This record gives sequence, structure tokens and C-alpha cells, in this order.
Amino acid sequence: MTPNHPRSLTNRHNSLKSTGPRSVAGKQTSSQNSRKHGLNCAPDFESSLEYRALVDLVAGEGFSAFACADIAAGLLNYRRVMDAYYDTYTSPEPVDEFLRDANVKASNPIFRELLSPSGSEPQDVREMAAFFASMQRQERRKGGPVSRRSADSHKLIRYQRNGIARLSRAVRRG
Amino acid sequence: MLYNVYFGIYVDVAMPVEDKSKSLLPFLSSPKLLPNESEADFQSGLQSLLSELDNPSSLAVALVSQLNECLWWIKRHTVDKELLLHEAMARLLSKGGSYSATYDNRKVSKALEHYLNGRADKDEAEWIDEILAESKLTLSDLRVRAFKDAARHIKMVDDLIHRQHQTIRHLQRSIDSIDYKSRLIKRMDLELAALESKQPAKGALTFDAEPS
Repeated sequence: MTPNHPRSLTNRHNSLKSTGPRSVAGKQTSSQNSRKHGLNCAPDFESSLEYRALVDLVAGEGFSAFACADIAAGLLNYRRVMDAYYDTYTSPEPVDEFLRDANVKASNPIFRELLSPSGSEPQDVREMAAFFASMQRQERRKGGPVSRRSADSHKLIRYQRNGIARLSRAVRRG
Repeated sequence: MLYNVYFGIYVDVAMPVEDKSKSLLPFLSSPKLLPNESEADFQSGLQSLLSELDNPSSLAVALVSQLNECLWWIKRHTVDKELLLHEAMARLLSKGGSYSATYDNRKVSKALEHYLNGRADKDEAEWIDEILAESKLTLSDLRVRAFKDAARHIKMVDDLIHRQHQTIRHLQRSIDSIDYKSRLIKRMDLELAALESKQPAKGALTFDAEPS
């Protein structure tokens, strides 16, 4: 596809519209995106007791001071990732059983009553049922607890890859 | 020689391998297990891995305990693959036949779990057979369909298992490198000792050879 292709131009034009949050409030909101597992925050290992303990431990094995610091930080970083992995695995997003198992068609009279007890417009009821059905589809697509915890843990794969690569590099260079 | 490791942990270079692994416990090898998992199994796996190493250093022990944790994760994820299939099978059964009013009937799920494990009582087995007949499915058909349904999540679990394999490979390389380094240091020490032992002999010769 050449750069002058209309589709490509459209894509470029659209990309200009979606380059992340622009307002201060929006930026503040998106800056908290990584708070789920905290692995995107820069850790401060150097001031921790574990770090000093590990540096002492590794130093006794003939590694240089630089290598000791690198290995200790690598090991603590890897532990941090694996702890977050365990936490994510053990606390998946809970299944909303009510939403998942509800019979939407059978709920139409309830919607009707909710919207207007004196007799609502059929269009409103249909829209509410469609909205409820769409939420139910989303909930069902996520699957059961095992599917959810697998999907959540899957998001941490890249952190594991980086964590073990850092540790392995530090040990082999040392 | 004792290394003072904080939190009151002491690691003695000459201590047995089992003790070395225990001395690292608080922040390196403390297993985070699920409620139905046995710590004894976890520890026995760790000890069998450690027994394959010849006088490992404390860092090697720390890395081996990470490796053991990877193996444990592989076990967990392998069980998850089967659970994903069961989840999908129960969902398909609930949707079929006269149970279509509910999407994921807990009762169906529980009975199917017992049925597949061979622990179902007569009523449960008959009930599952009845739903299978209503849905016009055999157990193997149901499994195939469930596999298709759960393919996306099974692929994710396969990725997780693959990641653990890759991690194990990294850890093995690191352990090998530590082992090689310690052998190299030992060899250099021996060569140095040999040179030193030759040195006084030479000195003695020159001293003797000096004319009086």
C-alpha cells in the first residue's frame, strides 16, 4: 500500500484524533492505569533491607561490587513480578452471576415496570433489554473464574520476560 | 564463615544444601501456595532439585528455588487447562436441552465435575446422561465442542506455560554460569597454590647455589 492511498491517509487523519488524553484530569486518570499490579512503577530496591542482604550474600561468592548490585536488583525485581503474578492469579475479577445467568427475555415485564409503572413506551423497554443483553454478552465472553484468572495472568507475561532476562543477564555478566 | 543476611537469617557457606535453602526462606523461597496445595510436595521438589547440584552456592540455591517455583506454576497451569475444558463443557450442557433458561448452571457444573472424575453417584450420572441425550451429544462430542469454545483461553494458558519454560531455561543458564565461575575460581586457586609451592623450592635452590 502506498502512502498516498486514501485508506492510509484516513488512518493517519484518525490517528491524530486519538493520541491519548489531552486534559489535565484525563492525563491524571490515565496515569493511574498501571495501579492494578504496580509493575510499571520504578522500584527503589537500593534502600530496602532485602537488597543489602542480597548484596552481602552475593559478594561472598566472588562477584564484583557492580555485579552484586545488579544481581540483587535483578533478583528482587523478578520476585516483585512473581508476587504480582501470584496476586493476579489468586484474585481474578469476580463473576457477576446475576448478570451472567439472568434471562433477559423473561425480564421484559420487570423493565417495563421499572421504566414506567403506568405503562411505558415499547421502544424504551426494547432499548433497555438490548443494553442489558449487551452487558450480559460481555460478562459471558469473559468466561468463568479459571478463564478470568488465565486472561489476567496473561497480561503479566511481558513483565516476567523482562524480569528474568534482567536477572539472567546480571548473573552471566557477573 | 557466616554471612549476616538481614531479618536474622544466617547463611553458612559450609552448611548442608537443605539448610541453605531454608535460610533463604523469608524473601526468596517462601512458597506462596493455594489453599489446596501441599507445602511438603513443594519442598520435596525443591530438595530433589538441590540434590542434583554439587555443593551449590547460596545464589545457586536462590535460583534453584525460583526454578522450582516455575515448575510449580507449570503444574498449576496444566490443571487450569483441564478446568477450562470442564467450565466450557458445563456451559454447553447448561445451554442445551431443557436447561437453556440458565447459562451456567452450578448444579450441572458440579455434577459434570463428579461425572468426569468418576465420583458421581447414580442420580448425578443418570442426570448427566439425560442432559447429554437431550442435547444429542456424546461425551467426546461435548469435549470437542468445549475445546473449540475455550480455545482462546486454552491458548492463553499455553502461553503461560511456555513463558515458564523460557524462564526455566534462563535460570538454568544462570546456574550453569555460577557453577562454571566457581569451578574457574577453584582451578585458578589450585594453579596459584601450585605456583606458590614451587616458588620456595626455587628460592631454596638459588640460596643453596650461592657461592660462599
